[in-house]
Amino acid sequence: MIAVDSLHFSYPASTFRLSIPEFSAAPGEKLAVIGPSGSGKTTLLNLIAGISLPQSGRVFIDDTAISDMNDAARRNYRIAQIGFVFQDFRLLEYLTVLDNILHPYRISGALVLDRQVRERALALADSMGLGDKMKRHPDALSQGEQQRAAICRALLPEPKLILADEATGNLDPDNKSLILDLLFERVEAHSATLLAVTHDHELLPRFDRVVDFHDFRASGA
Amino acid sequence: MYLKSTRYPVRFISFVTIIIGMLSSPCAMAAGSVSEKLVVYSVNYPLAYFARRIGGEHVDVHLPVPAGEDPAFWMPDSDTITAYQQADLVLLNGAGYAKWVDRVSLPGRRRVNTSASFRDAYIPVEQSVTHQHGPGGDHSHAGTAFTTWLDFSLAAQHAQSINAAMSRARPAMADVFEANYQKLARDLEKLDREMQRVAGQYADRPMLASHPVYQYLARRYKLNIESVTWEPDVMPDPDEWRMLSRKLQAFPADVMLWERQPLPETRE
Amino acid sequence: MMDSLYIAWRYVTWNRGKSLILIASVTLIAFLPLALQLLLDESEQQLRSRATDTPLLLGAKGSALDLVMNSLYFDDSMPPRIGLDASEQVDASELAYAIPLYMRFRARGFPIVGTSLDYFDFRSLRIGEGRMMTLLGESVIGADVASKLGIGPGDSLVSSPDNLFDIAGVYPLKMKVAGVMERSHGPDDAAVFVDTRTAWIIEGLGHGHQDLARTGDSSVILQKDDDSVTANAKLMQYAEITADNIDSFHFHGDSSIYPLTALIVQANDDKAAALLRGRYQDHDSYQVVRPVDVVDGLLENIFRIKTVIDGVIVIVGLATLLTMVLVFILSLRIRQDEMDTIFRMGCSRMTMARLLLAEIVIIVAASALLCAILLTLVSANSASLVRYLLLS
Repeated sequence: MIAVDSLHFSYPASTFRLSIPEFSAAPGEKLAVIGPSGSGKTTLLNLIAGISLPQSGRVFIDDTAISDMNDAARRNYRIAQIGFVFQDFRLLEYLTVLDNILHPYRISGALVLDRQVRERALALADSMGLGDKMKRHPDALSQGEQQRAAICRALLPEPKLILADEATGNLDPDNKSLILDLLFERVEAHSATLLAVTHDHELLPRFDRVVDFHDFRASGA
Repeated sequence: MYLKSTRYPVRFISFVTIIIGMLSSPCAMAAGSVSEKLVVYSVNYPLAYFARRIGGEHVDVHLPVPAGEDPAFWMPDSDTITAYQQADLVLLNGAGYAKWVDRVSLPGRRRVNTSASFRDAYIPVEQSVTHQHGPGGDHSHAGTAFTTWLDFSLAAQHAQSINAAMSRARPAMADVFEANYQKLARDLEKLDREMQRVAGQYADRPMLASHPVYQYLARRYKLNIESVTWEPDVMPDPDEWRMLSRKLQAFPADVMLWERQPLPETRE
Repeated sequence: MMDSLYIAWRYVTWNRGKSLILIASVTLIAFLPLALQLLLDESEQQLRSRATDTPLLLGAKGSALDLVMNSLYFDDSMPPRIGLDASEQVDASELAYAIPLYMRFRARGFPIVGTSLDYFDFRSLRIGEGRMMTLLGESVIGADVASKLGIGPGDSLVSSPDNLFDIAGVYPLKMKVAGVMERSHGPDDAAVFVDTRTAWIIEGLGHGHQDLARTGDSSVILQKDDDSVTANAKLMQYAEITADNIDSFHFHGDSSIYPLTALIVQANDDKAAALLRGRYQDHDSYQVVRPVDVVDGLLENIFRIKTVIDGVIVIVGLATLLTMVLVFILSLRIRQDEMDTIFRMGCSRMTMARLLLAEIVIIVAASALLCAILLTLVSANSASLVRYLLLS
């Protein structure tokens, strides 16, 4: 469950203002966020993830007010409970697919890398069709495979919230559909919440709800 | 030591025989030296004899010249040279004796020229022609007479050199060596006096020698010796007999010195 | 930290070229001063130990350094010569014993050292293969000569002509190799030892040739009478001493002036050494030097130069350090996306610093390892390196 309450945010020395009076999403719900460029979609994701802090208002994930946490607690919460999927995948070229998937475990003390995690990583990658590509480096994968690897990385810690920023923006139509299928499947399996920024209106019907930044209305699917 | 149709002086001859025997009977020494014994290698019998007299049981004296070889003209093989190189002392006669020592490498420090103290008393002998070639200019291969020990006073000096070298090598034994040397020196002195006495009877009497090796003997004991080059075991040819007859006309010798008994035919 | 090291290791191995350049730079900057120090220590040790082992040297008046370098390390410096009589004088003094050295010729690049067998006792050199030289014309060679020329007992070595244009002077002599020395880790390993008389034969002071009085070949005789024979240039001189012709070898001229370059003087005791030094202090033609004094003077100069080199290395080291800082700053800029990603995922800025530190640790550790390997190699070969670099 994500809840945003009377959120106000502005960048210093900028005219950009974002005000969200109320917004919430239930566990297992898949939300699309649309709106014109510069309307604050990514800013919303940053505020929800606790990367940026609002001038006023609060962000809750389940019953935890993430905007009230201190910096370290927010980071630990983020790495354990929020999975990020980026438009440009953000895989590290110098790591193999497996090492990329395990990367969050290696850079944060909040996650513990053990045998079970490894086995889970292999199973997850296998289920995403990457079973035979674990020792490859990202530059040896197709775009679709790269995004699947990035999704594995986001999902491995089994987060409560998945934030996808144009996750299908760089993919061809077949891969878009496949990636979305995979994301939806995981979200449902773990009762997580998916918040996906997209410009792809063809995909909107597949989401439970669409949050339109243009007039900031939540419309039902 | 016989000249045809002359009476030979028995005493004199027996005397010289002993000396010649000393120089010409190389003695191969048995191996098995005790490590603390001074290992001495000599180039000829007289030096080996002196070394044994001075060193006694404290030295192991080697004279590896094979029987039948003349030590003065013998050339040792590599193994023998190596044995010389490893000796504690190598006794050289000097005066050009045993040319081989000039053609091999011997350790300078352990090499003793036992006649160095009387180098000025060497008797030069002209035995070669002068020749010239290359950048070196004129040169001749002249030498010195080398049977120095036939002068018993010089023999004592050889012995003194050996005594000094052994004492340097084994300072702890110096007193023993000195005592033994003194005894040897007295013996040599006695021989020298005896020789002078005997030789006195032959003063100025022309004598012939089968080889030109009696220069020191002749000088010390004032003997009038001229030489031919006759081998004791070879019958001289008619030319050599003719040359002898000619020589005897100018040099009427009635005694001839031999280093070994000549053939009976030669004596006849 | 282990995970950071793992990621950094992946980064370092992925960016091989950059990493290798960094490792090479760090290695070089660490290796150079250490290796230099090592070599200088070794050279000091080598120079001093050989100098200490050689109590006194007698040579012609002139450069003491040339005399020491030539006599102890067989270098190319050619000190003026002395005569054999100098050796006889020392021996006659009964204060000391002299070991002659004549170092003028070379054979296939290696110095030919004319000396006596006493030299081998003096330096505690032992024959490793074959035997000691016995006849004139034979040589024993150092272990390096044997391995570099691939020769051993029974083979031959030819002395190099003193001077290509010196047609009338020095004949090349074919020398038989009688033995090879055990390695002594000093200049003796790279020398060809012969008897001084063999060296004099190379010099032309001694020679072997057909017997002029008996030769049947009248074409070599220019003039002949009862007392003398003059040969022409056709007279065959032997270029090799063999068992067959050794009897024809002979020396000419006054042996007391046969040349030597130095005498190693072994005094009986300290008092004898002092007496001997006093005796030669104001000598017209000779000098007696204590090699250790000469070497200490030389070392002082070397260490003065080393101080300058150390200064240069510090400056170069600073420049390298600055370059490395620049490389890491540029590397951070290139890795901006990576930093942003891990920050978004939930890492602090310190995580990146930790990764960078791990990378530096890996590069420094790899450099240290490489440096240690190189230093071990230098250390293992320091003796020969010093000889090659500093003493040859």
